[in-house]
Amino acid sequence: MKKLLSLLLALAMVLSLGAVAFADDPIAITVWGAEEDQTYLAERIEAFKAAYPDQTFDITLGVESESTAKDTILTDVEAAADVYAFASDQLPDLVNAGAILDLSTVEAALQALAGKTLDDIKAANVEGAVTAATYNGAFYAFPFASDGFFMFYDPDYISAEQAQTWEGLLDAAAAAGKKVGMTLASGWYNTAFFNAAGFSTSLNADGTTNMDWNGTSPDGFTGVQVVQAMQAIAGHDAFMAIADGDISNQIAGGDLAAVISGTWDTKLVSDTFGEDYMAGALPLLTLGDKQVPTRGTVSFKMIGVNPHSAQTGWAVLLAEFLTNEESQVARFEAREIPPTNIAASGSEAVQANKGVVGLTEAAAVGVVQSVGGKYWDPTASFGEQIAQGTIGTDEAAIQTALDQLVEGVTAPVG
Amino acid sequence: MKDKKLGSIISHNVLIAVLCFIWLIPIVWLVCMSFSARPNMNTSTFFPQEWSTQYYKQLFQPDTVNQFPAWFMNTFKIAIATCIISTCFTLMVAYATSFGKFKARKPLMNVAVMLNLFPGVLTMIAVYFTLRTFGLTNSHIGLTLVYSASSGLGYLICKGFFDTVPRALCEAARLDGCNEARIFAQIVIPTSRPIIVYTIISSFLTPWMDFVFAKMILNAGISSQYTVAVGLYRMLDKSLINSYFTIFCCGGILVSIPIAVLFFIMQKFYVEGITAGAVKG
Amino acid sequence: MTKVGSAVGGFFRAIGNFFGEFFTAIAKGDWAVKLSLIIWGAGYAKRRQYVKAILMTLLEVGVILFSVYFASQYVPKFGTLGTVQFAQEFNIETMQMENNDYDHSFLILLFSLFSFVVWAVAAVVWIRNVVHAYQLQLDAEAGRHINTFKEDCMEYLGDKFHITLLTPPIIGIVIFTVIPILLLIFVAFTNYDQQHMPPNSLFTWVGFENFKSLFSNGGMTVTFGYAFVRVLGWTLVWAFFATFTTYFGGILMSLLLNSKKTRAPRLWRTLLVITIAVPQFVSLLLVRNFFSNGGIVNTICANIGLTGWLRSIGLISTSYIPFLTAPGWAHVMIILINIWIGVPYQMLIATGILMNLPTDQLESARVDGANKVQTFRYITMPYMLQVTAPTLVTDFVKNINNFNVIFLLTDGVYTTTNQLMANSQAKEVDLLVTWLFNLTQNYYNYKMAAVIGIVVFLVCAIFTLVAFNFLIKGDKEGVYQ
Repeated sequence: MKKLLSLLLALAMVLSLGAVAFADDPIAITVWGAEEDQTYLAERIEAFKAAYPDQTFDITLGVESESTAKDTILTDVEAAADVYAFASDQLPDLVNAGAILDLSTVEAALQALAGKTLDDIKAANVEGAVTAATYNGAFYAFPFASDGFFMFYDPDYISAEQAQTWEGLLDAAAAAGKKVGMTLASGWYNTAFFNAAGFSTSLNADGTTNMDWNGTSPDGFTGVQVVQAMQAIAGHDAFMAIADGDISNQIAGGDLAAVISGTWDTKLVSDTFGEDYMAGALPLLTLGDKQVPTRGTVSFKMIGVNPHSAQTGWAVLLAEFLTNEESQVARFEAREIPPTNIAASGSEAVQANKGVVGLTEAAAVGVVQSVGGKYWDPTASFGEQIAQGTIGTDEAAIQTALDQLVEGVTAPVG
Repeated sequence: MKDKKLGSIISHNVLIAVLCFIWLIPIVWLVCMSFSARPNMNTSTFFPQEWSTQYYKQLFQPDTVNQFPAWFMNTFKIAIATCIISTCFTLMVAYATSFGKFKARKPLMNVAVMLNLFPGVLTMIAVYFTLRTFGLTNSHIGLTLVYSASSGLGYLICKGFFDTVPRALCEAARLDGCNEARIFAQIVIPTSRPIIVYTIISSFLTPWMDFVFAKMILNAGISSQYTVAVGLYRMLDKSLINSYFTIFCCGGILVSIPIAVLFFIMQKFYVEGITAGAVKG
Repeated sequence: MTKVGSAVGGFFRAIGNFFGEFFTAIAKGDWAVKLSLIIWGAGYAKRRQYVKAILMTLLEVGVILFSVYFASQYVPKFGTLGTVQFAQEFNIETMQMENNDYDHSFLILLFSLFSFVVWAVAAVVWIRNVVHAYQLQLDAEAGRHINTFKEDCMEYLGDKFHITLLTPPIIGIVIFTVIPILLLIFVAFTNYDQQHMPPNSLFTWVGFENFKSLFSNGGMTVTFGYAFVRVLGWTLVWAFFATFTTYFGGILMSLLLNSKKTRAPRLWRTLLVITIAVPQFVSLLLVRNFFSNGGIVNTICANIGLTGWLRSIGLISTSYIPFLTAPGWAHVMIILINIWIGVPYQMLIATGILMNLPTDQLESARVDGANKVQTFRYITMPYMLQVTAPTLVTDFVKNINNFNVIFLLTDGVYTTTNQLMANSQAKEVDLLVTWLFNLTQNYYNYKMAAVIGIVVFLVCAIFTLVAFNFLIKGDKEGVYQ
C-alpha cells in the first residue's frame, strides 16, 4: 500500500511538473493520414510550417487508414489525433460522439489567419463533397478527394459496346475464359443495384437508418426484382464475387477481364490489363423489361478536427491547408486521387486521367449514401447470401430475406 | 518374420514422415513466399515462379509502412523487461503459495482461480484508461506493465513444480538458521532450473505473440513505436497486403528464427518444467 | 458439497475472528491502543517503536490526502455518474477551445472503484494496526521482548516472507486485473453505449435492464437472443473439440514418436516444434491466406478437379471451396487448424509425462499378453488422465476464451449468410469473446459487452466447479510433501 501511494504521488508530481515545463512549448499537433499518404503529408506539413514562419510547430504524423479512422477515434476521443482524414460515411458517428468540430465555431480564426470563410471553402469544392461534409445543417470537414467505385475493363477481351450491359459484359468475359469481379458482400458496393431501381436509404437524428428495400421503389420496381437481377449476375459463370478488401489481390491474380473498383487500383489495373485499359460507369442493369444504370456509391474523403484538441485553432488551419487547391493538386500528382477542389479538378492532367474519367462517369449517375452504423453488417451478409446463392429463387423466400435485411438495418441503435 | 518387422518399421516411419510433412506444409510455404520475387501473394503456384532475396533487403530499409528494425528492437526491449518482471512475480507467488503456511493462502488461491476465468480481452478498455490516467499509453513501459503486472496469476505450473521440491532440504536449512529469504534464493531457486527456464521462455514470448493489447495501447499511429506483431499485422491490411505480403513473410521468418533457436536450446528444460508443473499443477 | 459447506463455514469463522480480535483490542487496550484508532502510530510510539510509528502515521496522512484531494472529486458523483454535460467555446486569443468543468462518467466510475479499493485496504490496515498495538501492549505487560525496527524488518525476510513476496504481484494484479474486472461488472449495470459515450455524453445506472434485454427479444436488436444462443453453442462445441482433439492428438503423436520403431525421433520432434516457434499471429494469418477463397489451396483444388467434383455432388455452390468463409466448412477448418497449432505443444507435454509412466505396470501388462490397444486403453490413458485432468479443465476454460485463433482466422474474412446473425453483428464462427470484442471495437456497445463478459465468466465458473468436484476427486496437494 505504501509503495502504491508513493508511486502515485511521484507520478502526480512528474505529471504536474511536466505540465508546467511544457507550457511555453511549440504548438503541438498530431495528424493522422492514410499509410499511402505519409510521404505526401510530410511534405505538405513542412509547407504549412513555412507558411507560418513566426510560429513554432511540433507536428507529429501518424498512420490511420481513412476507412478505420472512426473506430480508433471513438475508442478514446481525447487521445485521438488533432487533425485526421476519414471517409465521408463516418461523419454521422463522429458527430454523434462529439469527435469532430463544427467548423463554424472557429470560422473567425480561419478568416483572420487563412483569409477564408467557410463559404469560400464550400464554393471551392464540388457540391457533392460539401453536402457530404454537412450534417444536420452544420459544416464539419474539409473534403479533399472523391472516392467511389466504377468499372475497369480490358479492351482485349471486352468491347465498349459489350461493356454497356451486365449481360454483354459477362458473356464477353465468359467467351474469353475470363471473369468479371465485384464485391457483393459490402453495403458500399451492393447498394448500387438497389439504387439502380430507385431505392434509397436515409439517416435519422438518433443514428438509425431508414430503408425500404423490401417494398416498391418510387420508380416502380420491387426489391424482389432487384434481387433476381443480382442473382442472375452472381449466378453467371463468368462472375466472380470478391471478398471485401480482396479486389486488389484478385486483379493482380490475372483472371479478371473487368472489375468494379476505384482509383486506388488504377496503377494495378494499368499493370495487369495493359496501359490501354478502359474505365467507365457501371453497366446497365436489366430490371423487368427496362434497362437502368447501376448507380454506384459516391463518397468523399475529408479531413476533420478533433474538438478535444489542445490546439484547435491551429489544427483547423492545418486541416484547411492540407485540403486547399495546392495540396489537392500535389496529392493528385502523388497518388492520382481525384480532387474535390473545382479548380484543381479542372487541370488537364486530371481531366486526362482514365481513373478520374471513370469515377466521374460513375458519379454522374451515382448516389451519396446516407446510412447509420447498423447498415453495414446486415447488408454485407445480404450480399454474401446472393454471392453464395443461399437465398434461392423462390419469390417468397427472397421477400423474407429482404424483410429480415430491412429489420436488421432499421433496428434501434444502442 | 524379419520382413514383417521391417515392414512395420518402415510403415511406422513413413506415417511419421507423412504427418511431419503435413505439419510443415504451411511453414514451407511461408519460407517459399518470403523468397518470392513479387511483392504480393502468388495464388497460382505453390512455389514462386521467380526466386529472390530482395524483400529481405527491403525489410531492413525502413519506409513509411515497414519499420522492421525498430519494431524488432521495441519488442525485444519490452520482452526483456516483461520477462524479468513476470519471472520474478511468478516465482514469488509460486514460492509463497507452495512453501508459505499462512491463513490466507487457500482463499487467495481460490480468488486467483476466479480471476483467471474472466476473459482478458474484456478488461482491455479499463486497462487502457488506467494506463492513460498515468500517462502510460503509447509507451513501452505501459505495454510492459500490461504484459507483466498480472503475471502473478499464472503461478500454478510453477507452484506445481515447487511442490515437488523435497521439503527435507528446507527443514535442514531452517535448522541451520537460514531465514525464508535465503531458503528461497539459495535452495529453492537453484533446484528449479527447468521451471525458471519455462517461465522465462513463456514470458519472453508474450510480447512477440500479442497484438490486441499492443494495438490498443500504441494507438498514436506512429509506426516506429510498434511492436513486431502490430507492425506485421498492419502489413496485411486491405490496402497494403498487395505490396507487402512478401515482406510480411520475410518478417515472419525473421521473428521465428530467434524464437526457434531459443526453443531448441531450452527444449529439454521446457519439457521438464512444464511436465513437472503439469503433473502437480 | 460438504467441502464447499466447510469452506463457506471457514470463511465466516475467519471473518468472525478478524473482527473479534479487533473488538477485544479496543475493549481491553490501554489509552495508546485506543488512540491508535485515530493516530495510527500511537500504539507503537508508546512502545518506543518510533520509526514504525512515524511510518504508520505517514501512511495514514497519505490515505487522508488521497481521500481529500483525489477521491473527493469522484466518489460523491458515484451515485449519478455525473450530471454536468460537456460544453466548450473557442477563444480566438489563445486559438484554443475552453472546456467547462464537465463530468466524465467513465473516469468517475474508474476512480471511484480505485478509491473503494484503496479504502478497503486502508480499513484492513487500520484494523490490523489496532490489533498489533494491543498485541504489543500484551507483550509489554508480560515482559516479553519487543522488536526493534531492524528486527521487524528482518521478520519480513523470515516468518513474514510470504508478505514480502506477495505484495508486489498482488498490487499488479489488483490494478491490472481486479479493478478492470470490477469495472466491467459495474458497466453491465449502466447504459454505456454509443449514445452515451464520455466525454461528450454522460452515462448512468440502469439496474438490470441490460440483462433483461439479453434474454428477451426486442432489447438491443431484434435478434440478440437468437444470436446469443448460437454463439454460446459454438463456443462450447469449439472449446470441447479444441481441447480434446489437441489433447488426444498430442498423446498419440507422442506415443508414435517415442515408439521403439521410430528412427531419429529427435529430428521428427524438432520438425514438429518448428510450428510452435512461429508466432501464432504469423502462422494463423498465413494459414488464412493459404486457405482463402482465391488462395493457393483453392487453385490447387481447382487444378486437380476437387472443386469441380465437390460442386457436382452439391457440397458447394461456389466456384471455389469456401474453407474459411462458409459455416460448416469454416467450423471444421478452424478446429483442424487448431489441431495443427496445438498438437505439437501437447505432444511436448505428453512426452514429458509419459517418460514418468511407471514401467513396471507396462511390463506386467506385456507379460499378461495385452496388446498395444489394451495397454493404451487400460494403462497409458488412465495414467495420463489422472495426471493431466486439472490442466484439461483449465485448457477448456482457455479455449472458451481463445480469442487469437478465431479472431486471426476469421476477422475481415468471414461474412455470415445468416441474416439474423448479421443483424446482431455476430457470425456463426464467433466465440462469445470475439463477438464481444466486435461489439466494443466497432459498435461501442460496452454495456452489452459487459453483460456477455459476465455470462462468459459464469459459464466458465460453473464448468470449472462441476469439473473439479466430479472429475477430480480429492486434493492432490501435499502428496509429495
